[in-house]
Amino acid sequence: MTDTDAPRPLTTILGPIRGQLAAAIVLQTAASAAGIGMLVAMAEIGKRLLDPAADGTVWAVALAGAGAALASVLLAAAANVVTHLADTALQLRLRRGLADRLGRVPLSWYGGRGSGQVKKVVHDDVQAMHYLVAHTVLDVTSVVVAPVAALTYLATVDWRLALVCTLPLAAGAALFRHAMAGAGPKMAAYGRAAREINSAAVEFVDGIAVLKTFGRAGAAHRRFREAADAFSDFFARWAAGTTAVTTTSQLVVTAPVVLLVVLASGLPAAVAGWIPPSALVAFILLAPAVAAPVAGIGTRVQALRTGLTAAGDVAALLDEPADSRRIEPVQPVGTTVRLDDVGFSYDGTSRVLEGVNLELAPGTVTALVGPSGAGKTTVARLIAGLHEPTTGTVTVGGADIGDLDPALLHRTVGFVLQEVILLRASIADNIALARPHATRAEIEAAARAAQIHDRIAAQPGGYDAVVGVDVSLSGGEAQRLSIARALLADAPVMVLDEATAYADPHAEAQIQRALSALAAGRTLLVIAHRLASVRTADQIVVLDHGRVVERGRHDDLLAADGRYARMWRAQETTTPVAAGGKKEAP
Amino acid sequence: MIRSLATALGPASAAPLRRLLALLAAAAAAQGTAYALLVPLIQNLLGDRPAAALPWLAWFAAATAGYAALTWWAQNLAFGLGQDVARVLHDRLGEKVIGLPLGWFTPARTGELSRLASQSVLQLMNVPAHLLRPVVTATVTPLVVASVLLVVEPRLGAAVAVAAPLLALTLWWSNRAVASADAARHHVMDDAAARIVEFAKSQPLLRAYGRTAREHRLLDDALTAQGRADRALLHRVVPGLVAFGFAVRALLGTVLLLGVHLALGGDLDAATLVAVLVLAVRFTEPLATAAELGASLRMAAGNLAGVNRVLDAATLPEPVRPQRPETTEVVFDDVRFGYDDRPVLRGVGFTLPEKSMTALVGPSGAGKTTVARLLARFWDVQAGAVRIGGVDVRDIAGADLSARVSFVFQDVYLFDGTLADNIRLGRPDATDDEVREAAGRAGLDDVLAALPAGLRTPVGEGGTALSGGQRQRVSIARALLKRAPIVVLDEATASLDPEADAAVQTAVAALARRATLLVIAHRLQTVRAADQILVLSDGRISERGTHADLADGAGLYASFWRERAEAEGWRLVGG
Repeated sequence: MTDTDAPRPLTTILGPIRGQLAAAIVLQTAASAAGIGMLVAMAEIGKRLLDPAADGTVWAVALAGAGAALASVLLAAAANVVTHLADTALQLRLRRGLADRLGRVPLSWYGGRGSGQVKKVVHDDVQAMHYLVAHTVLDVTSVVVAPVAALTYLATVDWRLALVCTLPLAAGAALFRHAMAGAGPKMAAYGRAAREINSAAVEFVDGIAVLKTFGRAGAAHRRFREAADAFSDFFARWAAGTTAVTTTSQLVVTAPVVLLVVLASGLPAAVAGWIPPSALVAFILLAPAVAAPVAGIGTRVQALRTGLTAAGDVAALLDEPADSRRIEPVQPVGTTVRLDDVGFSYDGTSRVLEGVNLELAPGTVTALVGPSGAGKTTVARLIAGLHEPTTGTVTVGGADIGDLDPALLHRTVGFVLQEVILLRASIADNIALARPHATRAEIEAAARAAQIHDRIAAQPGGYDAVVGVDVSLSGGEAQRLSIARALLADAPVMVLDEATAYADPHAEAQIQRALSALAAGRTLLVIAHRLASVRTADQIVVLDHGRVVERGRHDDLLAADGRYARMWRAQETTTPVAAGGKKEAP
Repeated sequence: MIRSLATALGPASAAPLRRLLALLAAAAAAQGTAYALLVPLIQNLLGDRPAAALPWLAWFAAATAGYAALTWWAQNLAFGLGQDVARVLHDRLGEKVIGLPLGWFTPARTGELSRLASQSVLQLMNVPAHLLRPVVTATVTPLVVASVLLVVEPRLGAAVAVAAPLLALTLWWSNRAVASADAARHHVMDDAAARIVEFAKSQPLLRAYGRTAREHRLLDDALTAQGRADRALLHRVVPGLVAFGFAVRALLGTVLLLGVHLALGGDLDAATLVAVLVLAVRFTEPLATAAELGASLRMAAGNLAGVNRVLDAATLPEPVRPQRPETTEVVFDDVRFGYDDRPVLRGVGFTLPEKSMTALVGPSGAGKTTVARLLARFWDVQAGAVRIGGVDVRDIAGADLSARVSFVFQDVYLFDGTLADNIRLGRPDATDDEVREAAGRAGLDDVLAALPAGLRTPVGEGGTALSGGQRQRVSIARALLKRAPIVVLDEATASLDPEADAAVQTAVAALARRATLLVIAHRLQTVRAADQILVLSDGRISERGTHADLADGAGLYASFWRERAEAEGWRLVGG
């Protein structure tokens, strides 16, 4: 993200609806002017009634005034329709653009952010843009136009008194600026205090359950109280310095004060005969409208600023560089997966993988074992094409996976990852993710093989039930659904992240049966947690701290008495031999 | 809204709030009086002798000065009250949270609570200074002006008086219409945003299955549907937005046309007409100001409702005469419990003998976690009793109970500090050696070896710098350090690698020798090692005994065991 020039977010984001916004501003300008027009008509009627010579035109002016009132409402409605239509179009455009960009940024981009930040942009900022486009633009327009229109008319009545009218406005604006002067650092300090209380509150609330079980709720409460007190003290000091100025700036623009200023100068002038009394009526009617906006200008400016900041953040996300990977249709030959001297780093400094060589020959089973954090899952993600290796190459059928058409890659290599992701969509759509046009019979067959059909059929919506809305699946059920998904994808090479413990043994047995169905006849890479389950693998690769430390068959590795043998023995002791029984596994 | 503010602030702040409201009402009345004084002023100004208006100008100035002084006083009070709002609400929320039962803290509630304690309170600070004044002014000033109008010009005054409730009604309706249309729009926007967030979160999956934004029909269909729903909502938003403006203009237009009709008919002198028009405009102005605050008012009302909901939540009663149990034997005596009328436990009875290990097994959803949480009094039982050493947990002081029971949950909370800080939570006065020893017994040694700063490594906010298995072990270390005589362990070893797993199993076995241990067991070796196995199904203990007693029977446990044995024997079939 390189854009630093301020107008950029406006042109990229609001550009497409510029015309509509301009039209809405014109409509709102006319609406606000017409609203003032009605007050003008009242003043003119007063003038004409007081001057018997002008009698005939009174009705015309009265009707014009009523007409202006009506026109004002209609124009305002039209302006609102235009901004809301523009907003609707913009929202769809933004959401599509954001989704497209989120689908193309490198996955590593998510690592540094987390879904909170994505949510902030697509949710909070897009919402803030709704207010900017649909409401704030019109709001600011009317706040500017109404006083200008009123003042313009008053200047034609008596320019000297019109000048007097601007005094409260000027005083209010000056006081407002004075109150805001030095507000920059104060606002920053306020932001800090508010953030401090925010994080103290989050920590207090999130941790309270655990802290209570340790009888330590008091400590967290103290921290929260300290933050709260610090905030109150900060705010008290700030308010003490600004309350007088703020209150005065609001008071000088209230209608009674403005009227007093105008009358104190205008009434003696009228008594002295310098201006006609009827001229003063115009000022009594319209002068309050000249200064009134100052009272609300602070919140409008704030709203405008919030909206523009949000627009900037949305524009920044839309400008994120997409994954740089070339997509050239390279044809793989065969389905052998190879990792050649692969190194990988998420952040560019600490290496997760270093010099990993691995070959998955067709029809073989490879087990990847090692302590947590050894880099097993990263290997799976590299083969899935989710990340590009930092050094070395990952190939399928001799072709670099970076050069493969992603669709072809995913027809060749399928995945069951331990962290199951289900979409808020029907069960059928979730299973058919890889093949959206699969028939219901094919979907059911996959579900049956994955041991999940009975569960789906037993609940009300069946395959049409929406996950997370109509039906919530347990961890084990979600796992089986993801296996059905992989079965339907039917890729010749399968990468499995084996999961171990589940809430009940029944579920685990079913998952293992489902995995057995999936494994049959494919090239397999299994990330294994239970060594017993991969004892018969064609090759076992032991990964530690990102490096391959051992590889071979089970018996050879035991004979070598290295890392694998140690792990095997550790696991043996946790299996129930201690109680004196024989090991249950056949 | 004023009432819920008073409720949220509690009795201590009732007096300043009342004083503020009285001052604001007085200021608004002074404003109305000033406007009323414009009538004789204008009548004299436009009459034969304009100089006669000058004394009225003095009166007007006096009323305005009164208004300014009262407003000044009220605003100073309001800013002070705003600070009190923050102080009082933070205090009250904090105190309340300490007293709430652990069962109250669901993820949804804690999310809302942390928002309430920070953002909502900050927004509510503005209520006294920025919302109460326009609201009070919009009520009192028009009332004064309308009364004056009725006296000055009864016919036009009557028109305004009749229109007043209609205007109020329109304001109420348009606020409601905008609120509901906005809520509907927000729902539409939230839904679309949720889709995109889901799309972002599911990227590994979607990319692994070759779906891009354009091909992801689910997403684009949803977005298009949202667009349609959004447009369909327009006819509800716009009328609400312009209704009040329309009503105000309609009233002023009516007064204008009616007044002109009367004036031209000779029934009304020009000066009075002008005065009436001025008053009519002044009558509507505070209403229009208040109308613009609709959104802020809705937000404040929502925030206050949230705060009051938390403050109203029921706390667990502390015993009047707390008792101290002598032993650590735990008894569940015919315990019944359910969530929202959905019974979970329907008469659960068992005993955990002192210094023994009990494994609790059963299908998911059977209520195993509920049993564990009732032991620590997350909630109170609905019938029956939970006793420790013969004493009902409801008769044990909260602090005493939490000192006796130690928990290892599946979802581990780590606070932003070092590993040592997080482990020391178990016993704040533990020495460094004791912390290190607990860490070692929890299988953290190889984790620490890989970290240059060892125990002084920061864990990151919420422990994000650690893996799930590592967090789990920190939580075990914490419980080991606490040395509570009763330990409840929700076993989840999925994320442990074999060597760490072995270490943890050893630690658990050690725990069982010196504490009364209840394990929600997922692993066969734990179950087999237990002194007692309890099978929970359909809200009751359906089987109990040792592994030897149960394994060969015809019950649920035996079938579990067979299935598990089958799963253990599972092999990948290559080729």
